[in-house]
Amino acid sequence: MLGKYKPLWGETPSLKSNYDAVIIGGGLHGLAAAYFLAQQHGMRNVAVIEKRYLGFGGSGRNTAIVRANQRTQENVPLYKEALDLWPVLTKELDYNLMFFNCGNLNLMHSEAAMNAARMNVATAQFHGVESHLIDAKQCKEMVPALNISEDITYPIFGAMYHPPGGILRHDAIVWGLAKGAAKHGVDIHQQTEVTGIGVENHKIVSVETDKGHIKTPRVLNAAGGYSAALAYAMLGLKLPISVLTIQAMVTQPLKPILNHVVSSGTYHAYANQTLKGEIATGAHMDAWPNYTTQTTAYYIKHQAEALAEMLPCLRGVKFMRHWAGLADMTPDMAPIMDGNDPIEGYFMDCGWGYFGFKSCAAAGKYMAQFMASGNCPDILKPFSLRRFEQHRLMGETAALVNYTPDN
Amino acid sequence: MALTLTCPVCGKRNGYEFRYGGEDKGPRPAEAELTPQTWCEYVHLNNCTAGIQKEWWCHRDGCGVWFTTYRDTTCNLEVEKSEAQS
Repeated sequence: MLGKYKPLWGETPSLKSNYDAVIIGGGLHGLAAAYFLAQQHGMRNVAVIEKRYLGFGGSGRNTAIVRANQRTQENVPLYKEALDLWPVLTKELDYNLMFFNCGNLNLMHSEAAMNAARMNVATAQFHGVESHLIDAKQCKEMVPALNISEDITYPIFGAMYHPPGGILRHDAIVWGLAKGAAKHGVDIHQQTEVTGIGVENHKIVSVETDKGHIKTPRVLNAAGGYSAALAYAMLGLKLPISVLTIQAMVTQPLKPILNHVVSSGTYHAYANQTLKGEIATGAHMDAWPNYTTQTTAYYIKHQAEALAEMLPCLRGVKFMRHWAGLADMTPDMAPIMDGNDPIEGYFMDCGWGYFGFKSCAAAGKYMAQFMASGNCPDILKPFSLRRFEQHRLMGETAALVNYTPDN
Repeated sequence: MALTLTCPVCGKRNGYEFRYGGEDKGPRPAEAELTPQTWCEYVHLNNCTAGIQKEWWCHRDGCGVWFTTYRDTTCNLEVEKSEAQS
């Protein structure tokens, strides 16, 4: 990629010694923040510093599903805004993000789960997000491949159907945002490692990289799975995060059989058919922190068993690729978006676990507003780091799937 | 991401038999003069070390014992205490 081909976002500029803001991490959140800083707030002297290449981390490893069916009042509006932004960004960036608005079907396997889904639907409707409760027969009508018989481990009682969701091409968003940011003057430095952050009198003054020293009053930590280790190593700031490896895989390409994202918390499995015809499916996490991004045979077996019950027509289909990425999990399954506390000029957008893809556009937009104005936008206020010491953890753990090493 | 852990009672066993119990943060803070910050640090905050860390495990599907061990989080291998502290 860095050979004879010129990146879509233009030639790599030389590293300046002075930037108004330095963004650590060339993933979706970092690039979105850079783009909105330059495009909406006129802050063009901005650098995105990426240790490896754009989209190396979670941005290129997720299964590209978007939805706004979260559990709590604080989270739903943020994800809704991200959903509304895809068509806008497609136009603004002049780049096809390949949004396939197929809708999500969250399967429920008990009466209790149906009741929980009822509350979830009520929250969605309160915020103007379309979500319905449907029964097993209606599920079968929507997804004929689904097994609604009672002779499986977890028979299907019904589902929460969320039409505004769907899938996008994650690489396209990375490239599109990079192109848009660079067009507005942002410098993108790949293969540049941040080695230190300079703090004087509780204020950010500089960032050290392996390519040189940068003077800057603002830093955004958007390093995804690596952000907690980075915050502790460079600032001594501990975060309530555990970094777990999350796995996903795709099957060989098939004729169209799945026209919705189908997921089940009970089976710990979701599946959707990509535009290439592969069934993209995940997502298992081993519940101990590690940075390996290695995959396991244990999980291939789990996934084959789950899919063979839920979607029996997939029996015998071969898995083609299997990969893993890092998920920085917080105890309340909600992200940490904060700034100017405890260090002035230090902003962070992390703890996104396995759901950072869905919200990147909205998170970047509001983090940019925060960084440009110095005032935390209202929508971000509940996501502060101090919520943990104030015992104001969010209720996202009541959502349908729940993995953290804390429970 | 294979993981093998050494239970002090049962010896080397498959990692899926165990439950991770968090980073070793030392003894529980004393109740007297406990602040929300200290409690939060003990309960929630992690170093998230990319490298060797001391951590708690429980042999959940075995003898049930709780123990600490040293593990390299970049390769998922247990290491000796002497190696961890060098």
